[in-house]
Amino acid sequence: MAFLIHASVWNDKVNLHMETEEENKILDVLKFIFWPRYRLERLVKQKDEMEQFESKRGFFKRMNAPLTIVGMVIIFTVFFIAIFAPWLTPYTDSQLRGIMGPYYQKPSLDHLLGTTVFGEDVLGRIIWGARTSLSIGFTSLMIALIGGIIVGLTAAYFGGAYDNIMMRIMDILLAFPELVLALVIIGVFPQTVTNYRLTAILIAFGVLSIPIYARLLRGSVLSVKQNQYVEAAKVGGASDIRIMFRHIMVNCLSPIIVNFSFDVGGIILSLAGISFLGFGDPSMIEWGNDLSVARSNILTAWWAVTFPGLAILFTVFGFMLLGDGLRDALDPRLKNL
Amino acid sequence: MPGDPIEQLMGNHFNINTYNLLRHKYGFDEPIYIRFFVYLGNLFTGNWGQTFVVGKGMDVWTLIWQRFPRTAELAILAIVFAAILGVNTGVISATHRNKTQDTVIRGSSLIGVAMPVFWLGLLFQLAFANKNFPWTDFFPQIGYMSVNTIVYYPVTSITGFTLIDSLIQGNFFAFWDHVQHLVLPTITLGLITLASISRQTRSSMLEVLEQDYIRTARAKGVKEYTVIHKHALNNAMIPATTIIGLSIAGLLGGAVLTENVFSYDGLGMLLVEAISDKDYFLINAITFLLTLIFVIVNLITDIIYGFLDPRIRLE
Repeated sequence: MAFLIHASVWNDKVNLHMETEEENKILDVLKFIFWPRYRLERLVKQKDEMEQFESKRGFFKRMNAPLTIVGMVIIFTVFFIAIFAPWLTPYTDSQLRGIMGPYYQKPSLDHLLGTTVFGEDVLGRIIWGARTSLSIGFTSLMIALIGGIIVGLTAAYFGGAYDNIMMRIMDILLAFPELVLALVIIGVFPQTVTNYRLTAILIAFGVLSIPIYARLLRGSVLSVKQNQYVEAAKVGGASDIRIMFRHIMVNCLSPIIVNFSFDVGGIILSLAGISFLGFGDPSMIEWGNDLSVARSNILTAWWAVTFPGLAILFTVFGFMLLGDGLRDALDPRLKNL
Repeated sequence: MPGDPIEQLMGNHFNINTYNLLRHKYGFDEPIYIRFFVYLGNLFTGNWGQTFVVGKGMDVWTLIWQRFPRTAELAILAIVFAAILGVNTGVISATHRNKTQDTVIRGSSLIGVAMPVFWLGLLFQLAFANKNFPWTDFFPQIGYMSVNTIVYYPVTSITGFTLIDSLIQGNFFAFWDHVQHLVLPTITLGLITLASISRQTRSSMLEVLEQDYIRTARAKGVKEYTVIHKHALNNAMIPATTIIGLSIAGLLGGAVLTENVFSYDGLGMLLVEAISDKDYFLINAITFLLTLIFVIVNLITDIIYGFLDPRIRLE
């Protein structure tokens, strides 16, 4: 660092060879990306040129808010942990599910965050748990997204009685408090068959999130449908499916992207809540399960309760921050929210 | 059928003849559309069936109305706590825009939105109900009332709401004991709702403060306090009311979790017990009741919205 600053002072007076200049450039670029409100004439010009063909609305410029970057860093970290879990802990997946040693050891050098009641490493379970939360969150949201796009798009496009029926079904689903209905759906599945449990969780979260997307999409499709290029496409002889997906849907994606980020966080929270109540899959390595097991001995082993909860909070916080940033960037009118 | 209630009821003593008899007794052998209409009829006549396991054959209706006032007590206190604090913090945050207060309030409300409610409850137990240290033992850790109080100072049910009942009967010992048991669950449940109310109030306040009539009021020489708390807040409360109504759904889900963390004998505890025992009629009834509350609260919110904002009524 000191060397680089020294070199930059020199740079003005003496015409140095290329290498230091290159390094300066790299440092400048890094500063420009990660330092909020750090501006350089040359780079601003370059960036503006780049944005002109990348996005006319300056999407990336607006994403460059400090809180959004914090959110992205958090999400990147969680994804990194989830993907490289086997390399980050000395424990394997099956080792963390069995009885490993004496229960509730205090945090020490062997077990950085202590052990659970079954003697499993808390840190190891947190690291492997990132996989479960992220994969369940994204899979069930994919179900919701596909269902919501099909329902919302067709309902708004065709209209009439079909629209009415579909939207009333969505209203019925929306009338239930989400967590309560998810709890009931997951709870009444048989407890003995493990695969059923996972399916039930995915279906419950997926289906219950459909109405939100269907409604969002329907609203924006109804306004986009009025555009002249849709009429032009119809006159040109394009099929309904082509018009829906190539002409309309592409212009309705921004509210869905924002909601997606919020919903991933929401589903991770709900999943942890349901596991906490004991209706998740108890064989899964999951943060809610950890809390559920540790809560009865909370006064003796605070570490087994505190750290998995912290992991949930951290992850969900990241997704909320990213959602806020995405909303500001995609729809600047809502900036105050 | 996944989770067949009759199979669950019979458990290990499975016998096909008894199974068919019981199926007939509870009406599970009818086609689904007939069962649905029978269910609807029973719903309106108050015949909500019997429990299988939880209350050992108790009437579902009685059991639910025993537990419902306790959840209502918790939820109402939580929403009042959240609304009062949330609106005030939102106003402070909007009037001190981009200053220290604003940053602190915005940051903590963002954390509040992302906070798992059950974990917050557990942390509160560690911090304020921890018997291991004398300086952390302020409140009872779990329960709806201590066992001593239930045995020696029983509260007979008049309205069902223990806070009101104990005051009517002059049973101040039970009242104080119940209040102590209510503090932690209320704060836990309220803090989550507080965050979203505060965020909404802030954003609508910011919008209102930029309006012309606020500038006019200031130019006339109206006191700053009156400008903010009368001219601005009255208008900013309109969208905030909607959020308070909508947060009831989160509150009901949160109540299920909070009641379980604190072992508070309300509807949420009952629902979890019912689900783990596959108590068919009880699950149906509680889900129905919670949904009904949610729908009614949303309806009331819509009506209040019309009163607050006459423009909506005209459209």
